[in-house]
Amino acid sequence: MNIRCARPDDLMNMQHCNLLCLPENYQMKYYFYHGLSWPQLSYVAEDDKGRIVGYVLAKMEEDSEDNPHGHITSLAVKRSYRRLGLAQKLMEQAARAMVECFQAKYVSLHVRKSNRAALNLYMNTLRFTISEIEPKYYADGEDAYAMRRELKSFTEPDTQANQNVSITAAGTDGKENGDANQA
Amino acid sequence: MPSSNPLPPKENSLFKRILKCYEHKQYKNGLKFAKQILSNPKFSEHGETLAMKGLTLNCLGRKEEAYEYVRRGLRNDLTSHVCWHVYGLLQRSDKKYDEAIKCYRNALKWEKDNIQILRDLSLLQVQMRDLEGYRDTRYHLFMLRPTQRVSWIGFAMAYHLLEDYETALNILETFRKTQIPSSGYDFEHSEFLLYQNMVIRESGAFEEALRHLQANKDQIYDKVTIQETYGELYLKLSMFEEAKNEFNKLLERNPENIDYYYKLHEAEKLTTDAEKYELACRYRTKFPRALMPRRMALNYVSGDLFRKEVDEYMRRGFHKGIPPLFVDLKSLYKDKEKIKIIEDLLNTYRVSLTTTGFFSPDPNEEKQPASAILWVYYYMAQHYDYLQDTVEAFKYIETAINHTPTLIELFIVKGQIYKHAGDVKEAYKCMDEAQALDTADRYINYKCAKYMLRANLLQEAEEICSKFTREGVSAMENLNEMQCIWFQTECALAYQRLEKWGESLKKCHEIDRHFSEIIEDQFDFHTYCMRKMTLRSYVGLLRLEDVLRSHPFYFRAAKCAIQVYLRLHDRPLSYTDTQQQLNTDLAIQWNTSD
Repeated sequence: MNIRCARPDDLMNMQHCNLLCLPENYQMKYYFYHGLSWPQLSYVAEDDKGRIVGYVLAKMEEDSEDNPHGHITSLAVKRSYRRLGLAQKLMEQAARAMVECFQAKYVSLHVRKSNRAALNLYMNTLRFTISEIEPKYYADGEDAYAMRRELKSFTEPDTQANQNVSITAAGTDGKENGDANQA
Repeated sequence: MPSSNPLPPKENSLFKRILKCYEHKQYKNGLKFAKQILSNPKFSEHGETLAMKGLTLNCLGRKEEAYEYVRRGLRNDLTSHVCWHVYGLLQRSDKKYDEAIKCYRNALKWEKDNIQILRDLSLLQVQMRDLEGYRDTRYHLFMLRPTQRVSWIGFAMAYHLLEDYETALNILETFRKTQIPSSGYDFEHSEFLLYQNMVIRESGAFEEALRHLQANKDQIYDKVTIQETYGELYLKLSMFEEAKNEFNKLLERNPENIDYYYKLHEAEKLTTDAEKYELACRYRTKFPRALMPRRMALNYVSGDLFRKEVDEYMRRGFHKGIPPLFVDLKSLYKDKEKIKIIEDLLNTYRVSLTTTGFFSPDPNEEKQPASAILWVYYYMAQHYDYLQDTVEAFKYIETAINHTPTLIELFIVKGQIYKHAGDVKEAYKCMDEAQALDTADRYINYKCAKYMLRANLLQEAEEICSKFTREGVSAMENLNEMQCIWFQTECALAYQRLEKWGESLKKCHEIDRHFSEIIEDQFDFHTYCMRKMTLRSYVGLLRLEDVLRSHPFYFRAAKCAIQVYLRLHDRPLSYTDTQQQLNTDLAIQWNTSD
């Protein structure tokens, strides 16, 4: 699968992929907001016909200029394309871009407490740690783990990198269109 | 704001408070102040106050009254730029952009240098792609506010969109020279430079673009874009060694990007498959963890070499248990010889694994995990399904299910086989079974809903979908709000098959509205991106929106709607049909009237 930085014309297809894979969905404008604010941070995986099979939608937190950090709004890989390590590869590209383009010190995300596969990806493969529990973060009342990964010493993916990871439904923001209207 | 019909000081200060309330969205207070002015018989017909009252009412959702007041205000003061501006804002909020533009132009007749009106006008012009008008307005704004950054950017952007590269580049370069390079990190300047470079490249001046990049590279933080741009420019300028170098660096960063390999083909002037195969081999040795070069190698070989390569590739997949192996290899199936080789190998694995636990009789092999044979069956089912050999496909999927009765992937493929064989009912039953095995996975939920819709089971599909939609609203409503186009398209097609024409059209129109919304979404970005300096992406957005309805999603929905309308034209509904469809048709009229 081809992995590359997302362009504006990918955003609709990312929304489609999101609607197939995850319970947390957003209107198009929120995708535009990401793509037009931080064009370097979102990545897609596509098949040989150019169909999006996975994506990471990422942003910078805007309220922290002295301590810039990135945030993963949504990460998904279609079930039929799992165990290729796509989620991890997408995340590594996004993280590196956060450091290079926006001087991010760390990257954060939310994940459902029950999502063991995604937790495993974040903790064991991508070296995230749990920073806190956010009670009832998701619309259905489930708690979220708020997780973080330091990026200060961001280097090339290490030897764990080729480990195949299967994720059931990846980490996503539960706030529907939380800041869609910031644009 | 000087008025053509000035109010005395007391009323004038009230009027200013109306304006302030409007800005701060305190509409109720705004109305109070308006009332205080208008209740004085001397000013009961004061145009600007009436207009502002109308605009405020509009924000409270009282559209009809709003139009009444604004028009009455305007009639009473036709030379007031405020009245015209307000009328324009009202029309804009109603999405009557052409009308709004006319109003702004009238407003400018009476107040030609009003910055706010000019800005509002420029937004509508670029939204409507009146690029010449946009250029003139941006010129005007530039002349009025030559010290503002956004004046320069908007002015240059207008010429860029008109493909007058020379003027655009002149403005951009003059602006750049006024910028004192800051010593520290400056993302916006970095984006500005990349935009400037984009315009230079689009003008066709590749050497100039290269010089520009070299001169400014230290101030650009987007490393991927710099390297990609260098690589592209070197290729354009036939500087192949340099190009090779850039794409090598890019591959170090992301060895899964197929374009980088294609560009290397160009840089190394590779023409034959043998050369491209050799390149893929080099990079798979260099990046042992990357999938792309490994996979690409298979594209450039045939015969025995293909057999050797694909053998290794498939063994690795079956050994590790990689479910997407078939979808990964499917594009090789264009070639009959390759299909035959794959099939031979599959049969060898199957026979050998079931008898000895190895892929082949070769004694040097390591023993395979018990799951290997399962993945071979799973692959074979998809292989025969692709070849439309339903009997063989079923044979292998059943064997696989007997081997591991709880693997969801198997039921998905079984459902697919039924679907391809034309049995939508059995197909959806398989997906339903799969869905029940993992109700927390939305992807399988989606598959199940889609298959239900293919079997015209609309209610069941909505019920399944509701497991992942917000509580408290109907699934249908929530999916519409989330712009879930696939679902609405499948519904439209199901209704069409059921000859429920009204319902089908209703869904098609919902999809059409999403596209209108997405075009509308642009609006806020006209100012936002100029501020943020993300101009390359902004141009990308404009170009996307220009052709938005060429998206395959739109095509499918439009095709359905056209078929339904033609059917209704050819055979208009009879009286009894009409009675039956009355409700849904009314719903459409209601929905399309806004």
